[in-house]
Amino acid sequence: MLGCSHFFVPAVSQSGQEGRSLLALLFELQDVGFEYERLPALRGLSLEVAEGESIALLGANGSGKSTLLRILDALYFPSHGSISFCGQHLSPELLTQNGFALSFRRRVALVFQNPDVQLFNPTVFDEVAFGPLQLEWPREQVLSRVSATLELMQIAHLRDRPPYRLSGGEKKRVALASVIVLDPDVLLLDEPTSTLDPRSQSQIVDLIQEWKGSSKTVITATHQLEIVEDIAERIVVLEEGKVSASGRPAEVLSNHELLLRANLVHAHRHSHGTFEHSHPHLHSHSKHEHEH
Amino acid sequence: MHIPDGYLSPSTCATLYVAAIAGWYAALKRLKRLLLSRVVPLISVFAAFAFVIMMFNLPLPGGTTGHAVGVTIAAIVLGPSGAILAISIALAIQALFFGDGGITTLGANCFNMAIVGSLVAYATYRLIAAGASIASKRRVTAAAVAGYLAVNAAALVAGAELGIQPLLFRDAAGTPLYSPYPFGVALPVMMIGHLTFAGLAEAVISAGLVAYLQVADRNLLQGSSGVPVGTEVPLATPVQANSQRRLWMAVALLMLLTPFGILAAGTAWSEWSPSEFARPGSPAQIGTGANVLRGTIPSGMQRLANLWTAPFPGYAPSFVKSAGFGYLLSAMFGVGFLLALSLLAQGYLERRRATRYSR
Amino acid sequence: MKRGGFVESTLIGFTRALSRALMSEEIARRRGLLQSLDPRVRVVGLFALVLAVTLSRRLTVVLALFVVAVTIAVFSRVGIGTLAKRVWLVVLAFTGVIALPAIFITPGTSIATFAGGSLRITAQGLATATLLIARVETAVTFTTLLMLCTPWSHVLKALRSFHVPQEAIAMLAMTHRYVFLLVENASQMFESRQSRTVGRLPGPERRRMTARTAGVLLSKSIDLSSDVYMAMQSRGFRGDIRILSDFDMRVWDYVGLFAFLCAGSIAVWTGR
Repeated sequence: MLGCSHFFVPAVSQSGQEGRSLLALLFELQDVGFEYERLPALRGLSLEVAEGESIALLGANGSGKSTLLRILDALYFPSHGSISFCGQHLSPELLTQNGFALSFRRRVALVFQNPDVQLFNPTVFDEVAFGPLQLEWPREQVLSRVSATLELMQIAHLRDRPPYRLSGGEKKRVALASVIVLDPDVLLLDEPTSTLDPRSQSQIVDLIQEWKGSSKTVITATHQLEIVEDIAERIVVLEEGKVSASGRPAEVLSNHELLLRANLVHAHRHSHGTFEHSHPHLHSHSKHEHEH
Repeated sequence: MHIPDGYLSPSTCATLYVAAIAGWYAALKRLKRLLLSRVVPLISVFAAFAFVIMMFNLPLPGGTTGHAVGVTIAAIVLGPSGAILAISIALAIQALFFGDGGITTLGANCFNMAIVGSLVAYATYRLIAAGASIASKRRVTAAAVAGYLAVNAAALVAGAELGIQPLLFRDAAGTPLYSPYPFGVALPVMMIGHLTFAGLAEAVISAGLVAYLQVADRNLLQGSSGVPVGTEVPLATPVQANSQRRLWMAVALLMLLTPFGILAAGTAWSEWSPSEFARPGSPAQIGTGANVLRGTIPSGMQRLANLWTAPFPGYAPSFVKSAGFGYLLSAMFGVGFLLALSLLAQGYLERRRATRYSR
Repeated sequence: MKRGGFVESTLIGFTRALSRALMSEEIARRRGLLQSLDPRVRVVGLFALVLAVTLSRRLTVVLALFVVAVTIAVFSRVGIGTLAKRVWLVVLAFTGVIALPAIFITPGTSIATFAGGSLRITAQGLATATLLIARVETAVTFTTLLMLCTPWSHVLKALRSFHVPQEAIAMLAMTHRYVFLLVENASQMFESRQSRTVGRLPGPERRRMTARTAGVLLSKSIDLSSDVYMAMQSRGFRGDIRILSDFDMRVWDYVGLFAFLCAGSIAVWTGR
């Protein structure tokens, strides 16, 4: 199921090396730069992702998280630097090769921040079936996999519903269903819990934990610090298009200076009687206890 | 301007469907070559946008409101091929889903608004905006004029299609089977509504959108600027030599329509013109029995008919005896005129582009 | 014009569009005649009848087809009241106004005169006006029945099996889907402006406001299209859209098809 060795398609080997053994590195980005409408979104970004890792990509809006995810999903290609997947350099030419494309698109899945972008088919069923159909699965397999996935995500009752009649939470679930129907190995999630109510949020977090457990590679871009420890074993912080920190959650989250600088927390100021102080603020404003 | 089912005869509908399908086919082929697989999402979303624009109740100078079509901004941003498809799709959805416009007449409506409209809008815009910088005021004016002309051109063609119905399609008793209004009525009525409200609405929204884009999103104006675009895939391409082929095609289609007139018997063009009413002893078709009009011309009709004065009254130069031949001559003259105009415009644009190269 | 009048009328247009879609969804779920037929039969059959309406030269035949339309509506559990309100009255108002002058200006045998002879009604004028109205009403009724009783996705899949190019189908599907999103966006923009508008704005300001709304919508649309394109690619789209077509013709469908084509042919034959 996993492993670059399973991914390796001999015909497209670019380095000419046959029989590559199990590669530890899934993604390797070296000094990647990317410009969007002549403004730099990523600059000199280097990153390594190993198989089976669960990473939380932290950064304020505009730090380049979405762009990075799209580069990982070979939707954008770097203007400088390079990105390799299982040792193969990702380029537009490579993605035009049918064999590689079919394999890559199945194995790597991206869930967009705005579900409306991902729900472009007339009904929920059509949406979930889109991926398998484009990847040329046989008809019977498509039907059975789609039904199973709808059941799994508890949206079977929405089967014939058009997307404009879905609530926010339902849209997110359909969007997720539309990618997990392919049983991908790598899941790239762009702000999966933003705009969701607490219960839907925790459902998503549960899902991510399941994927973590089944040794899929999960990269989640988020700015919600409270879920990070549940969904990731490693945090990568992005600031202005570069990686500014990478480490275990405990380390990164205790580095208040870093968090402030990266605009992930704000200094919260309040007063107790005549005593006023400020401190970095990680949690929601509803419950607030601290010592001083 | 959306013509419902029942106003056009089956043969008219079929002819215009053929013309429309030819236009769609050509546009799709060209777009696929330029945009590859990006065609579907781009055209779809733009069509949805056009659809919504058509629903806007636009406030017009003078205190009234009107509805635009959106064909001009489509031509400016997407180019003529993209506009043809996007507007056609919007019209199809309007017809199927909202009953605006018929399905037998969808070909006609698409030909009028999406094809004729796009071509006129694009040509006019390019002509007037030629060489102007992206942010210049001239582009806004160009958009306004292009919008006005495009909508009125579409209305003209629609009026012609409607006007020809009673001449060609009548039953034995002389009852018109489809649209009952001949040219002398259909054309002025169509044109009045569009020269005033609809044309203005389209001009207003096109100019407004170009002005907005100049500030907010200049990239979208790149495609039709005549200036070489950057490394991104352009949404439209600058005028190239093969656009002349497109014009030839449009011209050929226009010529195809003229034989309909030749089919009509008698002095088709001048039938039912006010002078016919006034002539004592008019043919039986007009006022059998006592000439109840007593030789007077309904003054309203007189005024309406005078609004529509073509260079060739009666469309038959007097030295020609046969009406059919007169038709052909008039058609060729009209075609030649258009062609000459376009070639001049082409030459002007080429010269402009050669002397001006800026980024 | 009252304050914010044009904004309000635009918003009304939006809500009407949405309500129509919802109504059609509900009717498509009912168990009626049309709903029981294969979507392809519905498309072919109803289109054949619209064609018959256009081909007939006699008023009686067109009226007979109207009766057929109403019968189909009743058996498909489409409320006559709904049809009357949403279709027939609207068409009558629009086409009626257009057809009215024809009664007076069509040349032919006069059957009544007014105002000392300067206004007269001809038999041909009456005939043509009624024929026009009848045609439009009947044709629109058939089209509306198709769209009320058939989910949009089924209409598209039916078209696909008639070899309409897959790009066209894909574009029709996606446009329809995103119309609702854009209408919602535009609605929200208009609503927020309406509440902020105090007193009457001068004309140029109103036009600027509308152009700005349209402009924002346009930018959003182009961005949306880029994102949708990426989402499609991400799931394997490489240029050809493949869809699942799972319509099966049963005996009942063939019966229905036969009935439609018979009715159409009879109409054309007797109406020629």
